[in-house]
Amino acid sequence: MDLFTAVNLLRCSILLFITSASLALILLKWHKLCNIVSNIICITASIFGISGSLIQLLAGGEKILIAAIKPAIPILSFDIVLDRLSAFFVLGLCVLVLCVSIYSIGYVSHYYGKRNVGLFNFLYSTFILSMFLVMTAGNAVFFFIAWEAMAVLSYYLVVFESEQVEKQRAGTLYIIMTHLGTALLMIAFMMMYSYTGSFDLAGSSAAIPASARNILFLLFLIGFGVKAGVIPVHIWLPYAHPAAPGNVSALMSGIMIKTAVYGLLRFVLVYLGVENTWWGVTILVVGMASAVLGVAYAFVEKNIKKLLAYSSIENIGIIFMGLGIAFIAFSQKNGTIGALALAASLFHTFNHTLFKGGLFLGAGSIHYSTHTINMEQLGGLIKKMPVTAVFMLGGALSISAIVPFNGFASEWLTLQSIFGSILPGNAALNILAILSVAALAIAGALAAATFVKLFGISFLGLGRTEQADHAKEVPAVMNVGTGVLIVLCLILGLFPMLFLKLTDKLVVELAGQSIIGQLKGPFLFAGYLEQATGNAISPFMIFVALIVVILGVLLVLRLVGGKYIERKYGTWDCGFEALNSRMQYTATGFSKPVEIVFRMLFRPSRELKVEGEHLYHPESMDYKVSTEPIFEKYIYAPVLQLVQAVSKKTKYAIQTGSVHRYLMYIFVAVLVLLLYNRIA
Amino acid sequence: MSNILYFMMQFITILLIAPLVNGIIGKVKALTQKRRGAPLLQMYFDLYKQCRKSAVVSETSSWIFKAAPYIVFSSAAAAALLVPATTLLAPEGFAGDIILMVYLLALGRFFMTLAGLDTGSTFGGMGSSREAMISSLMEPSILVSVFTLGLVAGTTSVFGIMHAMNRLAVPLAQPVFILIALSILIIIIAETSRIPVDDPATHLELTMVHEAMILEYSGRHLALMELGASIKQLVFITLLVNIFLPLDQFITLTGVAAIAVSLLLYLIKVVFVAVIIAIIEVGTVKFRFFSVPNLAALSFILAFIGFLQYFVLGR
Repeated sequence: MDLFTAVNLLRCSILLFITSASLALILLKWHKLCNIVSNIICITASIFGISGSLIQLLAGGEKILIAAIKPAIPILSFDIVLDRLSAFFVLGLCVLVLCVSIYSIGYVSHYYGKRNVGLFNFLYSTFILSMFLVMTAGNAVFFFIAWEAMAVLSYYLVVFESEQVEKQRAGTLYIIMTHLGTALLMIAFMMMYSYTGSFDLAGSSAAIPASARNILFLLFLIGFGVKAGVIPVHIWLPYAHPAAPGNVSALMSGIMIKTAVYGLLRFVLVYLGVENTWWGVTILVVGMASAVLGVAYAFVEKNIKKLLAYSSIENIGIIFMGLGIAFIAFSQKNGTIGALALAASLFHTFNHTLFKGGLFLGAGSIHYSTHTINMEQLGGLIKKMPVTAVFMLGGALSISAIVPFNGFASEWLTLQSIFGSILPGNAALNILAILSVAALAIAGALAAATFVKLFGISFLGLGRTEQADHAKEVPAVMNVGTGVLIVLCLILGLFPMLFLKLTDKLVVELAGQSIIGQLKGPFLFAGYLEQATGNAISPFMIFVALIVVILGVLLVLRLVGGKYIERKYGTWDCGFEALNSRMQYTATGFSKPVEIVFRMLFRPSRELKVEGEHLYHPESMDYKVSTEPIFEKYIYAPVLQLVQAVSKKTKYAIQTGSVHRYLMYIFVAVLVLLLYNRIA
Repeated sequence: MSNILYFMMQFITILLIAPLVNGIIGKVKALTQKRRGAPLLQMYFDLYKQCRKSAVVSETSSWIFKAAPYIVFSSAAAAALLVPATTLLAPEGFAGDIILMVYLLALGRFFMTLAGLDTGSTFGGMGSSREAMISSLMEPSILVSVFTLGLVAGTTSVFGIMHAMNRLAVPLAQPVFILIALSILIIIIAETSRIPVDDPATHLELTMVHEAMILEYSGRHLALMELGASIKQLVFITLLVNIFLPLDQFITLTGVAAIAVSLLLYLIKVVFVAVIIAIIEVGTVKFRFFSVPNLAALSFILAFIGFLQYFVLGR
């Protein structure tokens, strides 16, 4: 009997996460010890998790039962099941947890003696465990419990620094929005049960009639969409993700929102099966809106973590676009394109986990050493924090889909799948497809601009405040955590075939076709879909070409120009000789042109107050620019007002405070239930 | 082996011709203004001189500032390798992806805009910010035109598209190609910082975009930045001429003679487009910065209608 089977490894992993949580509580009083022990156990657990899920992805059978717990309630079961789809997401989770836990050993040190580190690590470990269970639950009720636990635990982590009012508000918004989604999921699960008589996720959905399937799809889409943060149900995300501590926001943006992608795949693709074209179209349109609007809002943001949160909305949009194309292709019985689009979507999901995790950890590092994440107060950090700067640059390049990083590979695959999906015949779908190309293009270009802004304003130039000037490099252990993620980004970018080989069996299972078989090119090189496009690229060769050109240029310059002589001098200041950090371009200024061009969307307003008599030499000036949050103002605010108005009116009619009346309510309710039972 | 030979020839061809295009445009502009203008080969002399000079580097800047010119140059050069100057030059079945080409140019742009912010100068930030806006607005029309061309040819390989076009007698006789060609012409003007989007000839803070970003550069760094920009310009021109004015199919010669003739044809086509660009520069005034979106929208609409014409009405 082999000890290192996937089952044993994953059992160990789960048990270790539980151990980490309980040890965190036991060692509550010794902050440093507690943090180190808890994180080291989490690191070990995630290594077990990575190896277990890798075995399952590459070599495993259809699915494995990690644990089967049967409670006394008949329809319930707490089966922990790992099939390839689960294994893929567990792999993403564990890779991220590995890096974030290494990072946390250093990062949490600023809580020592100030906050309850034991409680923090307990919440951290149980939060990871809850996500693990969401991905491996074999039963809808169990899934629901894990889902709810994930929501509540992440809420506690969001409001961990609860003395700040805006963090409380962010937490409240988050918990309300996420429960909106949970409520819809609950309805969906009850519908599932009422038609099939079972909560088993592996069960058949054949008994569900077509009309109910459409309703179920919408319930799942909105229910999971809230967690994914797609537009228009995104409003919690830009508040909640920045409010959490750095390592937790990395987990939330890196993997928690991906549980929604898992949910959509599990419940819509695997359980219901895609039949209607409009399902895919809806997902594609939602994805397009999220990608374009998400990045547009990210670009005008000057708070680093908020910017990253909006960029998560954009990337979820790109993932949804891939899913949409795949669903459309499945409903049109075009398995090849479906498989390609699905692979692209999974690839981008995994990539986003890596680079967004890395970027949030980097943002955490900036906060750790400067105590601010407002770009307008930073600048020149590349000299103070050189290692963090390199990793942030790597993350920025990956997320901007720059060759040869991994973001490019998955966006290229997405574009290729759209390319393949444009077939003669269906005019409406073709127009939609070409519009999605345009959406992907503008999202990609704006994302690059956004991350040029993030990196350029906060790391380059001169420091804008004392905090930025006195920043110090963070502890090495934090940089290790960030670095591993960014190096993985580069590796997957150079050798995207590694990922496609890894997920090949999963794609076959979901789409019924392997795309590896149709990809040309030697191992470790990106190939192409022969039927669809007849074209290939190899990021690695491009990388080699770039290096060769640079070396060639260096050689030629040496031969033609002789030795390189450099003279250090001040920046050109037009002879003014008093250039200072306040004369640099600001984050607000950088995004102003785009803000003006898309003023329909941002609705910018400015206020200028001038004090003093002389027009050209005022005593003081006060200048404010602001943008209008259209979703909050025009969708959420009216709904909120309506709800408040209705509840104000009904408050005195229903909730009178009289015990007699409440007793009567109970009596009527029981009576109605009895009658209903009698009739039904 | 044939691949390596192709890369060498392509690289040398592009490297030699790229500065000449700037010379031609400058000369045509000068002639229309009744000036004699700088010699055609002026940019070569400039580059040579810049290479031999020492570089002045701002005290504020970091390694990004010094790395950027090399990355900008190599990304433009790598993109140039994907776009064959003549289809006879490229080995059969050469795989150069047109989407990859677009993304490679984005690599150069990313570092150029970063370098603009690195010196802490107001001009640099101004240029980067404007470049970010222009490129974001141009990106959809680039990808849509490229996609439409790819769909017509059934491949996203540059070589494949050019090959498919060679099979058509006169591509510009079809409405879809007229629309896409116009769209790409607008893209060339915007991407290569020409009037009416940007003015390469002035250093006026109200108008400059590309020049503002590279304002702090000198010596060999400046040479690389400028050569990179002219290579990028030639890449787009090559794309335009080899897709819409394919002439290679008329060559019946074989071997070295065929390649020589096709290179000559290529040169004539490039000169032709350079003259057109120069005439546009002479004939228009620079747009107000916030009118550039209209140009981008026009380019996108042209490409989009081209797509509709071919895929929705055409079949």
